[in-house]
Amino acid sequence: MKAIQIKQPGGPEAMELVDLPVPAPKANEAVVKLAASGVNFIDVYQREGRYKVPLPFVLGQEGAGTVTAVGGDVKSVRIGDRVAWTGVLGAYAEYAAVPEDRLVPIPAGVTDQQAAAAMLQGMTAHYLSHSTYPLKRGETALVHAGAGGVGLLLVQMAHNIGARVIATVSTEEKAKLAREAGADDVILYTQADFEAETKRLTGGKGVDVVYDSVGKTTFEKGLNILRPRGMLALYGGSSGAVPPFDPIVLTQKGSLFLTRPSLGNYIATREELASRAGAVFGMMAAGKLKLRIEHKYPLAEAQRAHRDLEGRKTTGKLLLIL
Amino acid sequence: MKAIRVQHTGGPEVMELVEIPVPQPKPAEALVKINIAGVNSIDGHFRDGSLRTPLPFIPGQEGAGVVTAVGAQVKSLKVGDRVAWSGALRSYAEYVAAAEEHLVPVPRAITDEQAAAAMMHGLTAHYLVTDAHKLKAGETALVHAAAGGVGALVVQLAHAIGARVIGTASSAEKAKLAREAGADEVIIYTEQDFEAETKRLTGGKGVEVVYDGVGKATFEKNLNVMKLRGMLVIYGMSSGPVPPVDPAKLSEKGSLYMARTTLAHFTATREELLARTSALFGMIAEGKLKVRIAKKYPLAEAAQAHRDMEAHKLTGKLLLVP
Repeated sequence: MKAIQIKQPGGPEAMELVDLPVPAPKANEAVVKLAASGVNFIDVYQREGRYKVPLPFVLGQEGAGTVTAVGGDVKSVRIGDRVAWTGVLGAYAEYAAVPEDRLVPIPAGVTDQQAAAAMLQGMTAHYLSHSTYPLKRGETALVHAGAGGVGLLLVQMAHNIGARVIATVSTEEKAKLAREAGADDVILYTQADFEAETKRLTGGKGVDVVYDSVGKTTFEKGLNILRPRGMLALYGGSSGAVPPFDPIVLTQKGSLFLTRPSLGNYIATREELASRAGAVFGMMAAGKLKLRIEHKYPLAEAQRAHRDLEGRKTTGKLLLIL
Repeated sequence: MKAIRVQHTGGPEVMELVEIPVPQPKPAEALVKINIAGVNSIDGHFRDGSLRTPLPFIPGQEGAGVVTAVGAQVKSLKVGDRVAWSGALRSYAEYVAAAEEHLVPVPRAITDEQAAAAMMHGLTAHYLVTDAHKLKAGETALVHAAAGGVGALVVQLAHAIGARVIGTASSAEKAKLAREAGADEVIIYTEQDFEAETKRLTGGKGVEVVYDGVGKATFEKNLNVMKLRGMLVIYGMSSGPVPPVDPAKLSEKGSLYMARTTLAHFTATREELLARTSALFGMIAEGKLKVRIAKKYPLAEAAQAHRDMEAHKLTGKLLLVP
C-alpha cells in the first residue's frame, strides 16, 4: 500500500511516499481502508520532530474509511462498516490498523470525507463548548481565531446553543466567514484592540468565557475581558506558549478560572468518545454544523498540503483523499 | 469610644488601644455598636503592611452588633436591628459606621458570636463548595488545613452535600477535629506525604477538587492528586504565595482547571451576599454547621489575639469583645 513515511524529521520534504505492506490487525484492532485523512498542525509538529515519535513512522492522526479486516477480539465493528477515528498515528496511508475502542461508526448522512474532517476539530469544538465550559443560552463567549479550523466550528456550536459570540479574526475575508458561521460581532484584531473592543461590545461587563488557541499574544488581554469568575479555556498556542504567570493575577482580575485542556482528556473513555463523536455527527447530519472542506490533495501531494497549512493561506479543513 | 489603631505597620505591638470619637454615619451608612469583632489572617496582612491601606487605620474586617443610628438614605435598617458584616475595615472598635449594603440581618436563633464567626470563614467555605467548584454528592474533595478556620467549615459543608472528604492536618489533635467535622479520611501531613496518601485513598484515581488555602507548600503536589479535568481552587496562601505557573502543566496533568479566588467576588451583589448569609445562618440555626470559637479576647488584648493567630496554635475562631 502507499503511505507517507517520515524517516528523518524535517521540512515538508521529509515526507516520503513509500510502499509498505498492508498492516495485519492485532487481536483488538480493525484494519480500515481509508477514504480520507485529515491534515492537522500536530502532523506538522511530529514531522518537524517538535513532538517526538519513534522513527520511522507513518504520519496522520485522523481518518475515515471502511473496515476490511478485524482482529480476533473485535466485537463492535465488522468488515464493511464505515468508521472514523482520531488520536492514532498512521492515517496518511491507504490502510491503517486502529484499536477497536478508538473507532466510531459513521452514520448515514455523513460522508467519509466529512467524518475525517470532523474528528479532531469537531470534537475539540464540542468539548470546549459543551464540557470545558458548558455554554448556556444568553452567555457571551469570545472565540479567538474565529475563522480557523476549530474556531469556525466553535462559533457555530456556541451560536446554536444560543450564546452571543464575539470572534476575533485577522482579515475582512475571515470576518465574513466568522459572521456566516454565526458570530454576532467580529473584531479584526489587526485593526482594533480586541480588549477595548470586547469591553465596548459588552458594555464593560466582559465575557463569560474566552476560548483561546492563540496563547502567548492573547493571554493577558484575555484575562482582562472576563467577567468576575469567568473562565479562560486555553486550548492551543499558535502564537507561542504562554509563559509562566503569577496566579494572584487571577484573583486581582476577578477570581478567574483557567484551564488548559486537550482533546485526549475529553475522549479518554470509550463512552465519552462515542457520545462526543455521535453528537458531532448528529449536528452534521442535521445540517446544523457545516464543515468547510476546501482543500483536498491526493496522498502523493501531502508535502503541498503541509506547505499550504503552514503558510496559513487556507481556511477550513485540509484533507488527503485516498 | 475605644478602638485599636495602627499608626505604622509592623508586628502585633503596633496595635494601640486609643480613645477616639464615635463615628457619624454618612447618609448611606448605619452606625453599629459592635458586640463582637472577628480576627482574621487578612487583619494581620494589613497590620504588617503586606496588604496596603492608608495610615493610620483601625483594623478589623468583620463583626456583629446592633444598629444605634442610621443615615438619611438608609431604608432596610432601623435602630435596634441586629446586624453582621465582613469586608469593611474599622471593626476593632466599639462602634463602626458601615454602608447599609454591607450589613446583613442576623436572625434571632443566631448569637452575635456565631454571626461574627460565620461571616468571613463561613461565607468563604460556602462559595467554595457552591460556586468555585459546585461540589456534588459522590465526588471526592481534598480539603487542606481541614481543622482550620475555613477548612473545618468546608469539611462540614462538603460532608453535608454527600461528598467524600479527605482532609489534611498537622497534628493528631487537629485530625480529630477534622474527623468530627465530617472528614472521611484525614492525612497528617507532617507524618505522611499527602500526595501518596491521597492517591492511595482514591485507588489512584485522584479527587475531583482540591480546596487549598495553603498556597506555596502544597501547589505542586496538588496537581498530582486530581482526576482528569479536576479543579484546584486556591483561596489563600498561609504558606506563602504560589510561584509563577506554567499553564502547560495544567494540560500535562490532565486538562486541569485552576482558580485563585477571593470572597469579595462571591458576595459582590447585595442579593448574593444575602443569599449566602441566610443559607449559612440557616444551617447554623439548625445545628448543621458548627462554628468553633477558639478564644475571646477583650479589645485591649488585640495584640495577643494576633500573636496567637500567627502561631497557628489555636483551632477555631478568634474573637474580640469591645
